[in-house]
Amino acid sequence: MSGPLRAVGAALPRVDADLKVTGAARYTVDVALPRMLHAKVLRSPHAHARVTHIDARAAAAMPGIAAVITRDELNGLNATYGYFIKDQPIVALDKVRYIGDMVAAVAAETEEQAVRALERIEVRYEPLPTVATIEAALAADAPALFETPPPGIVPAYGTGASGFKDPAKNVCYRFCYTTGDPAAFARADHVFADEFRFSRMQHYHLEPFVTVARVEGGEIELWSSCQNPFPLRKELARVFNHPEQAIRVHVPFIGAGYGAKNNCKTEPIAVLLAKMSGRPVRFCMTQEENFLTQSQHAAILKLETAVSRDGRFIARKSEILLDAGAYSDASPLVAEKAGYRINGPYRWEYIDSRCDCVMTNTTPAGPFRGFGGTQAGWASESQIDMIARRLGLDPVAIRKKNLLKLGEAYVPGESGMDSDLAEGLDLVCREIGYGRSERTKGRGIGIAIGFKDSGGVNKPAEAQVKATTTGGVIVNCGTVEIGQGIQTAFTRIVAELFACPPARVAYAAINTDVTPFDQGTNASSAIVVMGQALERAARDCIARVLAFAAAELKCAAEDLRLENWSVIKDNQAHALAPMIMRHFGGTGFEFVGRGFFKPETDHHAPLEAKCVSWEIGWGAAEVEVDEETGRVAVKKLVVSGDAGRAIHKDACRGQDEGAAMMGLGQALFETMRYDGAELVNIAAAKYRVPLANDLPKSFRAVTQEQGHGPGPFGAKGMGEAGMLPVAAAIANAIEDAVGVRVTSLPLSPEKVLAALDAKREKP
Amino acid sequence: MSSAAPETISIVLTLNGRAHSARVAPKLMLADFLRESCGLTGTKIGCDQATCGACTVLIDGAPAASCATFAWQADGAAVTTIEGLAANGALDPVQEAFKAKSAFQCGYCTPGMILLAKALLTANPAPDRATIRDWISANVCRCTGYQMIVEAVEDAARRMRETVR
Repeated sequence: MSGPLRAVGAALPRVDADLKVTGAARYTVDVALPRMLHAKVLRSPHAHARVTHIDARAAAAMPGIAAVITRDELNGLNATYGYFIKDQPIVALDKVRYIGDMVAAVAAETEEQAVRALERIEVRYEPLPTVATIEAALAADAPALFETPPPGIVPAYGTGASGFKDPAKNVCYRFCYTTGDPAAFARADHVFADEFRFSRMQHYHLEPFVTVARVEGGEIELWSSCQNPFPLRKELARVFNHPEQAIRVHVPFIGAGYGAKNNCKTEPIAVLLAKMSGRPVRFCMTQEENFLTQSQHAAILKLETAVSRDGRFIARKSEILLDAGAYSDASPLVAEKAGYRINGPYRWEYIDSRCDCVMTNTTPAGPFRGFGGTQAGWASESQIDMIARRLGLDPVAIRKKNLLKLGEAYVPGESGMDSDLAEGLDLVCREIGYGRSERTKGRGIGIAIGFKDSGGVNKPAEAQVKATTTGGVIVNCGTVEIGQGIQTAFTRIVAELFACPPARVAYAAINTDVTPFDQGTNASSAIVVMGQALERAARDCIARVLAFAAAELKCAAEDLRLENWSVIKDNQAHALAPMIMRHFGGTGFEFVGRGFFKPETDHHAPLEAKCVSWEIGWGAAEVEVDEETGRVAVKKLVVSGDAGRAIHKDACRGQDEGAAMMGLGQALFETMRYDGAELVNIAAAKYRVPLANDLPKSFRAVTQEQGHGPGPFGAKGMGEAGMLPVAAAIANAIEDAVGVRVTSLPLSPEKVLAALDAKREKP
Repeated sequence: MSSAAPETISIVLTLNGRAHSARVAPKLMLADFLRESCGLTGTKIGCDQATCGACTVLIDGAPAASCATFAWQADGAAVTTIEGLAANGALDPVQEAFKAKSAFQCGYCTPGMILLAKALLTANPAPDRATIRDWISANVCRCTGYQMIVEAVEDAARRMRETVR
């Protein structure tokens, strides 16, 4: 490339703007097929029970009912699904394991008929003792959620990392990582042991879990609000013993997910009902059902951290317990990431981390923005601050002393940091006014650095770029538009490479029959993994165009460059369209380029491949604490992510701001509240999410463009990081303000007041 | 007089500026009527509990949760959905502002947010930032963190004042 960037970074509207501001954007909820039926499911009222009897004959005879699923209809299928561990049944088999577990499903002409039929399904339960919390599930006399371990696998790990399936009762998976010399602990001046608690949120995506499926002529076709259509296709092929080439998944616009919309949710029931009825079936959950389908992981995190008296980090032993809920879902992967990320972007002599997925009789937990990094960052960045204050050191200085430098490997065998961490820290300190000499009573400032790897694990991606006769360019790849703006980012990247106006580049609809393979739109991987595949595809397409033009112009391809669908040779432009039609005939042609990317398998890297990129979220908060009520007001919030290169600046800013507000909700009030095993604040009317009124008076997201990312033009993934530092920054600010430490989320007035009271009672 | 509930109710409304008549079931919600009977799928259903505001439409200019409004309640009223906001292919200034300021991500709350903002700016052409924050707190956006929406509403106010001028 030569000259300034034109499409990349241009202040143009997003490509999905017109569709989204006019209501024309089509989501899965908007898909309607002729003769379509509506599905509803019967859910368990018990947290843990044996299903002793189920009879759906009366329901099947109700008006309008076309198909009914109970466990009796699962014969011949591989009736359980899951990421690594296949433990979640399409509908309950022998047991139900949480309130809301799916027991039966019906398809009817109308949703109302479906709901009425559910009332006629007769189920008898034999209740079993329940375990609603991590502690209860780990108690010696706790009932087991699974009497026999479900089938599953442990992925391959490299140096220092290991995984174990079913290492203990009600623990479905354990991830361990160790590096360095354990004797380092003995060399430390201080060892601090602290425990932290992380509460869980619901994703609260506004478009519910929804699928429209049809099974006709031996072909399964579905439209789904799904982040990973290819793994979904593979899982459905396994569940239904159906060949993959006869399953077609379409993904329209997605009304957000924040992690929730990976793998099977509504899909198996919709497909099975469609298969049984011979008619298209729509299964759209209610928001209450979303709350009973997926959540973030609550966690208990115990850290033993060894440091020198001058604040050098030496060793850390971590024990993390994640509340996986009733089914494993993505918990093993979340455990891997929480266990791997717990030490933050700092230098250590010894690391010993363990993370367990603990099964409880609650909503299954799964991927959630931050993916274990949120839990890890909450504990680690809180404790680092506590250690600094205990040693009488400055919380920013202690971080700076230990931060990994640009290019320095995270751990042995790993890739290097692709952001300058100190630069970002200085930035948020400046923005928040850190180190100001004047102090106001009840006010304080806290800093935190959120950290995660990005790009997924060993993730392959393929992209295709087509150029038409008249210079229209079509990007064909499996990254879904879930709000992040990837259609905009990818078409701008390709426009830049083609040196054409962005309006000439389109983003193809996703259809697994024709879309090249992608593992999923998650792990902030689009820009750094698919982006690299896409750049190669665009360059491959351009090379084919130039090779064609070189043959036509009888020169070397190296002497040509592409500009606005002409080839430039010796400063003279030759229009491509007439050249193509002269050669291929009047109907023209399409040039097709392909590109592939996958990080290399590497046994020296702990996760079997070096992490593609590192995603950092710097955060700073200024709070005011009311010492009479314990109420915390966030006066100022600053977050900053490093986009490497911002392909679309507004989209980057929006990611950081949206993530930060999610973090603010988690810090202050947003949480799923359980009474025993019953979720009491289920759905919108009872569950509080941040509103515009919750915006801090001063709120700033600064997108850095440090330029070190592995993606096109130095770009990096940045959609998750803005959330990661917020809760710890606010907890750190509270201690700075009033001298009390709250180690459990959310930082509610009750907890802050209790901490203040405890402090006041001390002599 | 029979006490049996009528099968359907006859309604006449102005839908996006055009006269529209229909027979609706007594329990049919306005959101379902718009989406399923009229094919106006720009109106989105989120929580279905009149809390998130994704289903916001304007009834005689006032924002209403169409998921919690019976279709028959719109009888005799003027209903505006997101599809009715652009006039002759030209975006409304509020839509222009949301587009220019990228005040959306997944877009699911966007039709409701735009109509909510439209109602505010029609009643109050120059709201201050606190007023905008208060007003749009009626609806949930889980993606943006609201700041860019607030800025888009400010921008829309400017655009509307310029259009009037």
